[in-house]
Amino acid sequence: MIKCLRKYWLEILLIIPMTIYILGFTILPIFQSIVMSFRSEGNMGLTMNNYHMLFNKPQFLESIGNTMFVTVVSLCYQLVLALLIALALKQSFKGRGIVRAIVLMPMGIPTMVSGVMALYVFGTSGYLNEILFRLHLVSTPINWTVGGMRSLFVIVLADTWKVLPTLVLLLLAGLESIPETVYEAAKIDGASSVLTFFHVTLPLLKPSITMSILFRAVDAFRIFELPQILVGSSIPFVATYSYEEYSAGNLAISAASSTVLLVMILLFTWFYMKVIDRGEGFNVT
Amino acid sequence: MSRNPRKLGKIFLVIGIVLVCFCMIAPLYLLVKVSFSTPWEVNTAHPTLLLHQPTLKHWKQVLSSGNLFGPFWKSLVVATCTMVLATVLVAPASYVISRTSRKIRATYILVLFFTKMFPVVGIALPISVVFLKWNLLDTNTGLVLAHLIGQVPFMAWILVSTFGSIPRDLEEAAFIDGCTKMMALRKVVIPLAVQGIAVAGLYVWLNSWNEFTYALYLSLTTKTLPLEVYYYVQRGGTFQMAAYATILAIPVIIITFVMQKYLRSDYLSGAVKG
Repeated sequence: MIKCLRKYWLEILLIIPMTIYILGFTILPIFQSIVMSFRSEGNMGLTMNNYHMLFNKPQFLESIGNTMFVTVVSLCYQLVLALLIALALKQSFKGRGIVRAIVLMPMGIPTMVSGVMALYVFGTSGYLNEILFRLHLVSTPINWTVGGMRSLFVIVLADTWKVLPTLVLLLLAGLESIPETVYEAAKIDGASSVLTFFHVTLPLLKPSITMSILFRAVDAFRIFELPQILVGSSIPFVATYSYEEYSAGNLAISAASSTVLLVMILLFTWFYMKVIDRGEGFNVT
Repeated sequence: MSRNPRKLGKIFLVIGIVLVCFCMIAPLYLLVKVSFSTPWEVNTAHPTLLLHQPTLKHWKQVLSSGNLFGPFWKSLVVATCTMVLATVLVAPASYVISRTSRKIRATYILVLFFTKMFPVVGIALPISVVFLKWNLLDTNTGLVLAHLIGQVPFMAWILVSTFGSIPRDLEEAAFIDGCTKMMALRKVVIPLAVQGIAVAGLYVWLNSWNEFTYALYLSLTTKTLPLEVYYYVQRGGTFQMAAYATILAIPVIIITFVMQKYLRSDYLSGAVKG
């Protein structure tokens, strides 16, 4: 032990501050939050009361549905769109640099700002309605953020605008790591471009896709800022619902709903790794 | 005949690219446009798409209201302190992590990944309870400590892979030449890693500048810039929120454009690779 300390004193000294910070300010609060969700006032033991109350609230059940819907739809939609854009950007054409810069631009835009933009675009007297009106597609303005399916799609679109650049960048790097010789071999064997895409590009791109899905899914489940700005509490999501309870002073309920969200994320990740991916695309090096 | 489908494909490609570029740029144009528009161009059933009568009224209002400087300064101080503190905490630790055995490294990275999975609202809740006790609500110190929660794992990811890409042989060569551990770090490792550290630091600065959730939980009276925008969103101040959002976005756009050369996807993937 002493020998080990003497040999590695510098390494230990370097790693300790960050470890202490993470233990104290991240791991500890996570456990506090989970424990808090099993506590109720005036009772020292652990109870399930908060969860009983939570699952009896229709608003909370609705928020689970909304969160799952937005996660699944935005994952599929964003992944397909990002893959198409990445494939287009891999071709060489005039002005590719500019297109790349434009596509990557929203990456830096704060989520708050993209929410404000979405308010202008999807407002009742907003610009999407105006464009649709001028194209003679609608005659009366559509109320996009009033609730229901339509508003969920608005949130998906606003979210897509914001995260598309990151996904494009990830997939583009994956595409560029596929050696050119593989494509040449496919061509010599007489494979059509569609066949090449499904049997060469997609399988080789799997690690990038898996990583994109996991990163995106975790963020999509936790979606908070955009709903908070765009629809407020009229369309609850699990994270915004948790905030609602917090600002109403119901700390234990708030903790319980964020714990439910954690369980949803863990279940999704587990399901994805075990059932869909089976450990093929995701390795920790 | 055989060239027709290819031509058609090319046309579709061009249309697609133009459409995507339009969708990416149009909202930004609208934001700036609204901040310079007169109310009758925006607050009607049929808002104009072009700027007919530019006005500086809203900008003058925002700049002279006295509500801008406080939040701007707070955001600036918090973002800068977060960047500096995160670098001091994370850079040394990620160097060590990148040099440990595979097993320890994988465990550490998985723990970091797990902390990223937990909802921010769930961490912010106990943090705000504790900070209330410690009198850290509404202070810059408190907000910096909170922003670090999200930024430390993020930066560790980037830096572990940055340090990992520096070959160990270089350090060993330095040892053979008679360097101590400290000297090898100073003369060999840090100069090679400095670019990665700078990029990671800028990312952290941006993320902290944009951060909303912790700020919402931990601020009662003093606002950061994103909170100021949110305040006007709630009040329905169409023009103020356009101006504030533009101010919020400007430094970010500048930094991202400067950084584009260094934006590499392996920074996003970090040490987790397929």
